[in-house]
Amino acid sequence: MAKTVLICDDALFMRTMLADILKGAGFDVVGEAQTGAEAVTRYRELKPDLVTMDIVMPDMGGIDAVRAIMKDDPQARILMCSAMGQQALVIEAIQAGARDFVVKPFQPSRVLEAVQRVMG
Amino acid sequence: MDLRRFLDLYIAETQEHLRTLGRTLLELESGSTDAVAEAFRSAHTIKGLSAAMGYVDVAQLAHRLEDTLDQVRNGSLKPDAVLIDRLLRQADELDHAVTNAVANVTPQLDGGTTSPAAAAASRPTAELPPDVILPAGTSRIGVVRLREDAPIKSARALLIIRSLADVTGYLGAHPHTFADDYDGVLHLFFAGADESAVEEMVRRAGDVESVMFHAADETRTVAKTAAELRSALRATRKARTVRVDENRLDGVQESLGELSILQNRLRTQGGARNGQAAVVDRMRTLLSELQLEVLTMRMVPLSETFARLPRVVRDAARAAGREVDFVMQGDEIELDRSILNELGDPLIHMLRNAVDHGIEPADERAAAGKPRRGQLVLRAERERNSVRVVLEDDGRGVNRARVVEKAIAAGLIPPGSATNPGDEEIFRLLSHPGFSTADEVTELSGRGVGLDAVVSKVRALGGAVEMHSLEGAGTTFMIRLPISLALAQALRVRVAGEDYAIPLTHLSEAIELSDNVQRDGDREQVRLRDGMLPLVRLRRMLQADTSVREGAAVIAEMGDRRAALAVDELVGREQILVKNFDPAVGTLPFFSGATLLDDGRPALVLDPLSVM
Repeated sequence: MAKTVLICDDALFMRTMLADILKGAGFDVVGEAQTGAEAVTRYRELKPDLVTMDIVMPDMGGIDAVRAIMKDDPQARILMCSAMGQQALVIEAIQAGARDFVVKPFQPSRVLEAVQRVMG
Repeated sequence: MDLRRFLDLYIAETQEHLRTLGRTLLELESGSTDAVAEAFRSAHTIKGLSAAMGYVDVAQLAHRLEDTLDQVRNGSLKPDAVLIDRLLRQADELDHAVTNAVANVTPQLDGGTTSPAAAAASRPTAELPPDVILPAGTSRIGVVRLREDAPIKSARALLIIRSLADVTGYLGAHPHTFADDYDGVLHLFFAGADESAVEEMVRRAGDVESVMFHAADETRTVAKTAAELRSALRATRKARTVRVDENRLDGVQESLGELSILQNRLRTQGGARNGQAAVVDRMRTLLSELQLEVLTMRMVPLSETFARLPRVVRDAARAAGREVDFVMQGDEIELDRSILNELGDPLIHMLRNAVDHGIEPADERAAAGKPRRGQLVLRAERERNSVRVVLEDDGRGVNRARVVEKAIAAGLIPPGSATNPGDEEIFRLLSHPGFSTADEVTELSGRGVGLDAVVSKVRALGGAVEMHSLEGAGTTFMIRLPISLALAQALRVRVAGEDYAIPLTHLSEAIELSDNVQRDGDREQVRLRDGMLPLVRLRRMLQADTSVREGAAVIAEMGDRRAALAVDELVGREQILVKNFDPAVGTLPFFSGATLLDDGRPALVLDPLSVM
């Protein structure tokens, strides 16, 4: 059965691009979220195998969302999507339980490598 | 990945965020604090989207705006009218830049942020800072180097540390907290662990260039007694690592080599008889360990030389108007520094050649039904006692008829020679000094160093070059190199009363000569299993009495070419320390160096390829 993924990013462009890459790798994109708060709710509903999480989002930021999700499900597999210069935030996210990270602009091969590590 | 299909999405989203920016900046002027955060997010998103599309200029403008907004957010800038003016102006510029980029720039993925040359120049050292005290019990240190292009190295290092948390024997890491300018070198401390398993785990964490283990300097571990503490404190006061001039390392290595030869002499000349066998044996073990230690100190990964090559290819491709994808593999493989130092120029020459003469212009490729972008692959592989560096292009291949034509014109081969000779003959012609197939001398190659210089450089390093080429499909060069220059496994042979050493790098086996030799006019051949090989009599090459029949032969191989070299006698296998020399005028050209044999006698080192 295809692995499921929840994509969290406030930009449609980024969501589309990630969905494109992940579908290509055989993932089933079961949900998308545009805010941190939405990510937490959607995770509870969908229990996806993988979450991609943007750091800067309105409502609740990505890092708080990681904390909330990890509290619900310590086994959650979360891949952070960060921009250049968000070093400190990425470290914070990893300390909060994120499994790996990729840096924008996305290179499909890099995203897939990271996904493989998170799933492995 | 083709980004053009994302273009509509990009335009739609950036337009929306540009509108948000315009609105929030005005709200900011009227004193709203929520507006700063919203404006910041919009600028940030535009930056990310633009960078993803390869619109570097737009991303930079967005970044500048984001920066200013960040300062407003943390209170270090006051959003007065002057500042709002500035912000609005920046937003306008951003708007124009987006329009401009969409109209004029082909979207492309661009992950590279620093040039490889710049990255190599700022390459961090793997030395543990002298003030770091190791955890008690540390016996091994693993040095992890992250890839030069790894993003957010600190976060990657943190993931590595986290992945090792449950490993038995893992004691800690340096650094374990990370500054913004963290350079990507991580030291891991172990009280013994399954090092290959650790390496695998570390590599699995991603973006790892190399993992190397070495013994810990025990004086730096945490002290258990007061005395140890005192000495540890003393130790931390002075630096525990020193930089060593390469020449001194050479000196140590040479002395060690000679010492080892003397030790062998002691062993063969009666050390055992005098009841000193155990001492001599112990000496031998220690000497080999020392030699290995020094050799290891001299080893550096190929990446040190490879790192500057992508830039070379890029520049060459631009100058020649070619589209080239360049891939490097196996650059973690290690070679003796003295070999690596010499390898750069030949590689650069060959890469330029491949771009200039191998890869066709994009239109020509398209017309031939090939992808527009040429593929250039540089790959290194470990092979028994050597390293193989392969350079492969999918270009037009060597035009054999043209090479032959030129060779005839240059008087290298007689008129009327076959127009379609094999790879080896073609390569021999191409690497002839002064031979050039380029119709005109381009700025990049075709003058100065030629293929002949490449071949002689590699030969001087004890290696060999081969070429395979298929017209229309591409050319492959294979360079085989010894891992270390100085120390070689060699076969000791006797010819006309003299002993010679032949490095094993190019030998495949040794056989006896008896009735398996066939004479065919001037040429002699020897039967090996089901094939016949040309027989080269070293007695003849060395101008000795050829009426004596040889008893054995060694099989030398280079690529598909093999030959049997007849010798009087096989004496045995030895580890030799080669001293290269510049052959004096008038000496036979078959020798690549000299050595001292186990029994202390000097001998010449024979290059088997030169007599083939």
